[in-house]
Amino acid sequence: MQEKLLEIRDISKYYPGVTALKGVSFDIRRGSVHCIVGENGAGKSTLIKILTGAERRSEGTIRFNGREFNPHGTRDAMRSGMSVLFQELNVVNQLTVQDNLSLGKEKRKLGFFKRDPELIGNIYEVLRSLDPSISLTQMVEDLSVAQKQVIEIAKAIASDSNVIIMDEPTAAISDEEVNRLFQIIRKLKTRDVTVVYISHRLSEIFEIGDYVTVLRDGRMIDTKAIADFAGYCKDDAPSASSSMDAACDELIRMMLGKVVAERYIPSDVDRGAKVLELRSVSNGKLKDVSFALYKGEILGFYGLVGSGKTEIAKAIYGIDGREGEVLVGGKLAAIANPADAIGEGIAMVPEERRSEGLFTNLTIRENIPMMNLRTISKNGVFSRKRERLLARRYIEKVRIVARDEDQRVSELSGGNQQKVVLSKCLNAESDIILMDEPTRGIDVGAKEEIHNLIRELAKNGKSVIVFTSELPEVLNLCDRIILLYDGKIMRTLENGRNIDHGSVMRVVTGAGV
Amino acid sequence: MTMNESPLKSGSPAGGSRFRVDLPKLMLFGILVFTVGVFTALNPRFFSWRSFIFVLIQNSFVIVTGCAVTLLMIAGYIDLSVGSTLVLSGMIHAYLCRAGAAIEVSLIIAIVAGTLIGYINAVMIVKLKITPFIATLGTMYLGRGLSYLISGGLVIREGLPDNFAYLGNEYLGPIPITVAVMIGVLAIFFVLEKKSVLGKYSIAIGGNKTAAVLSGIDVDGIVQVLYVLCGTLSAVGGVLMASRLGVGEPNTGIGFEFDVIIAVILGGTSLAGGEGSLVGMIIGSLIIGCLANGLKILNVFTFYQSVMKGIVLVLAVVLYENVKARLKIKRAG
Amino acid sequence: MHTEAGVVREAKTHKVNAQILILVGVLLVIMITSTILKPRFLSYTNFMNVLTQISMIVLVGSAGTLLMVSGNFDLSVGMVLSLTGVMHAFMSKNGVPTNASIVLAVLIGATFGLMNGLMVVKLKIPSVIASLGSMYIARGFAFIVAWVDGGANVVTGLPLNFEFFGRAMVGGAVPLYILIFIAIILVCYFVFSQTNLSKCAFAIGSNRRAAVLSGIRVEKTIVMLYLFVGSLAGLAGVAVASRVGSGAPNVGTGFEFDVIVAMVLGGTSIYGGEASFLGMIVGALIVGFVGNMLNLQDVQFFYQIVVKGLILIAAVLFTRKIQERLLGR
Repeated sequence: MQEKLLEIRDISKYYPGVTALKGVSFDIRRGSVHCIVGENGAGKSTLIKILTGAERRSEGTIRFNGREFNPHGTRDAMRSGMSVLFQELNVVNQLTVQDNLSLGKEKRKLGFFKRDPELIGNIYEVLRSLDPSISLTQMVEDLSVAQKQVIEIAKAIASDSNVIIMDEPTAAISDEEVNRLFQIIRKLKTRDVTVVYISHRLSEIFEIGDYVTVLRDGRMIDTKAIADFAGYCKDDAPSASSSMDAACDELIRMMLGKVVAERYIPSDVDRGAKVLELRSVSNGKLKDVSFALYKGEILGFYGLVGSGKTEIAKAIYGIDGREGEVLVGGKLAAIANPADAIGEGIAMVPEERRSEGLFTNLTIRENIPMMNLRTISKNGVFSRKRERLLARRYIEKVRIVARDEDQRVSELSGGNQQKVVLSKCLNAESDIILMDEPTRGIDVGAKEEIHNLIRELAKNGKSVIVFTSELPEVLNLCDRIILLYDGKIMRTLENGRNIDHGSVMRVVTGAGV
Repeated sequence: MTMNESPLKSGSPAGGSRFRVDLPKLMLFGILVFTVGVFTALNPRFFSWRSFIFVLIQNSFVIVTGCAVTLLMIAGYIDLSVGSTLVLSGMIHAYLCRAGAAIEVSLIIAIVAGTLIGYINAVMIVKLKITPFIATLGTMYLGRGLSYLISGGLVIREGLPDNFAYLGNEYLGPIPITVAVMIGVLAIFFVLEKKSVLGKYSIAIGGNKTAAVLSGIDVDGIVQVLYVLCGTLSAVGGVLMASRLGVGEPNTGIGFEFDVIIAVILGGTSLAGGEGSLVGMIIGSLIIGCLANGLKILNVFTFYQSVMKGIVLVLAVVLYENVKARLKIKRAG
Repeated sequence: MHTEAGVVREAKTHKVNAQILILVGVLLVIMITSTILKPRFLSYTNFMNVLTQISMIVLVGSAGTLLMVSGNFDLSVGMVLSLTGVMHAFMSKNGVPTNASIVLAVLIGATFGLMNGLMVVKLKIPSVIASLGSMYIARGFAFIVAWVDGGANVVTGLPLNFEFFGRAMVGGAVPLYILIFIAIILVCYFVFSQTNLSKCAFAIGSNRRAAVLSGIRVEKTIVMLYLFVGSLAGLAGVAVASRVGSGAPNVGTGFEFDVIVAMVLGGTSIYGGEASFLGMIVGALIVGFVGNMLNLQDVQFFYQIVVKGLILIAAVLFTRKIQERLLGR
């Protein structure tokens, strides 16, 4: 058994009115990949904040390398060897890779840099061992998200970090990039670096993790070695015909306290009514995209990063220019911007909820009507009473967990924020709804709630297009699935029949049809 | 898959080689050439040694101050008080000279005063966490007020020693002293930009402050140094300008801070920070300078300059942003 | 009229309310100090003088607040004010009937507003730069017109009814133009608190991309906001020229900062997305009364500037401290 690197004992954190963590105790072993799972609100982020020194614990102790660990702040924690990779990348785009990696560590004299071949050599070696394709002289802004992550990891290693905490690292990268990340993590283990891995993607937990700790409602439910779970939970577990694997079930049960099993329920599609049609739509990223959407249908677009999913949504919604035709309800539509799209009855839930979907410093009640101010106003003058009532209606309907409608959306959890974005979109009262990665970075419970909302939309005669990079989502939810690769539609599948996951993967990776 | 280049061969100690054909800067230079061309065509007197020296001298104050302001704006901060510091230091210099102090002493005290104002800015913004816009607005008011206070609103004209106007008007060999000082300051700052923490860390702070903090950079310290430098350099420009005018003039320098900011932005520094360069600032300042001088030679009424400045500013920003955007598309594609 | 749901609740209610209370407190302190130092402070004449200055700031600030909420600045208002004053005088002098001249002058302000708006929206120029550019242009033209007229200010040969707009009194006690201003300010307040335009401005300032994606007509909104600000600056210029009896090209120097100070003091964030109309008014009052107090003390203009700067800094600091304590940040 590996030795204990971090001993977390009875950690509690109290905020006014809220207990974020209570009596959390577990060990993290040196050189392991230790996963932490839990619903939003379970206390994961609070725990990370305590580990990284961003917050102080209210009770309990942490021993790091046998010594008491009580950092004054983030820099102090970093100096002790604790690094963290957040979803918001902390790289300086305007500097080169080398500049970024050496940032803060350069040899200096009176404010001037001195030649430091040892540092550069060290950086070079670390980077090469992680990803030889990145050159030291490239500008970081030219790198992809996954490559920027590699830079951050390299920086952490070069700073002699023994613990790297990764917060949802795979949320914004493609499946191949995930594989490369996992290779890097395995290499980290050989260097005796410990990885604390936080993710919602249960299959990843089983693939890369050695241990998993489940948090629920601020408490530690259990910590187990992955090897002790019966069987493994794989991404391509067939969902339509059989229930989820026992291991996944067990983990989810620990997280939720109950079993969640989603399965595909066919919608009532009116094949006679074509609500949206694209004919030969092309632009910089798309090549000759043509398809139709029917009334009451949930249509899914599945593909890897760069396959053109978001680009199709942007082309329909009027954000990107395009050639080709878009027909709404059989008539040619001229959509030059989102306002036009909404006018044609198309609303979109954007990919990035914080930067594209929400007015973060405004309250829930101020956010919701923004896509359709007519629902609370008349002749350009709005009514505060109607605004409040509208907000309360959606809070109840969509089950947003918040103090009240006057809470600022920045204070909500990811899942609830997404629900606010959804409410905003629903309030547009459109017949066609586009959803770009609707449940990314959201816990299992909220995911199911959102999926049910989508199903309800379809039941009420609306038509939904879901753009997603999660295969289980598209299999659980959509009536038809369109596979994308490199901006082209490769195949269209009907759901409900047994779909061969292997051939699906081959199509979307471009390996062959 | 390309291999890393051997790191020991790449670039300067401060960072990797950033040598690329800098299209926006070339364009800026092109604008400068174009401006010179147009005015020369309109009046050949424009293209003369005297004319260019005049432009250089007039712009030396802007460029001197601009060195520090460029770095400051790259870090994402702003200083609206440089104009008032310029005037204040000139007034202090004139006042002390009139009161009988030796010119060297007076110079030093005036520059120290400017440095102090820079320090006040630094403390307000870093320690007291007041937004830069407001804080430097406050010091701007303060500085202007103090300038008037020193002389009761009057110009300090009589009682100045004979050599008061020396620095601003005499030559060091073939080069005017003001230009020589400008070149000296530029030389120092070029080195700072490329080889010191001020250059690289300003970009880091402006580009991603969180990353800078997490990398262990003393952000507060760097920002304070930058503000102090802005104060010092404004003061240097101020005493030179007072010397050139030959009087202590409290009514001058209105809009100077904007002249500097325009030069910096024209030169490619984004208001948000993270990018910019001294070279760009110099070219930007020269463009405005040539415009002003060109109009003067054409005997255009002074205030048309104001109109021109406005139009140039807008045009330059539009062009620059356009080119940058097109470059980005090309690189991403 | 019975307002629903009681107090107007914007995001960060507590913070803004506390700030306003503090500002009112500061204002009272200033007024009391003024009275003690010079009882003439409480006289009718004196109050009318301050009112003039303050009313300009509040007028332009009424539209300026929403503009700042949307994340945009207008640094040209001071020079636009000067220009329209000069133009009004110039046109009146050269045969344009005074009333028509007033309308035309306001239109000039509107034109600058439109220009600013289009530069920001169509040419994608940052608002600070765009309005700075207009400021230079307006300044240039103001001085040029005065020069064409033959002097530093346009002051001789003005028609007899030129000063009517600025000096007419209603009921012998209240200046006409103040009443007009108040009416406009009330309309602006209504726009600020009850209209979709305001909601759009807040959305744009809070998250411009999200506003675009939500179907908000961002470009139209911003242009409209600039139009309002420009027009009101034009109106203010006309009022000043009428009251003083001349068109002076330097009368508006520094005015834009007075407006910005009033707005920021009052709780409007320079980053957008947050504002207080009432706060802006109190801020304007403070700026105005401080100036007045110093005037009464025969304090020279220069001291005033120093004090203005100090007050600004002190106020920002002080309110921040109180906020932090209140919100337990």
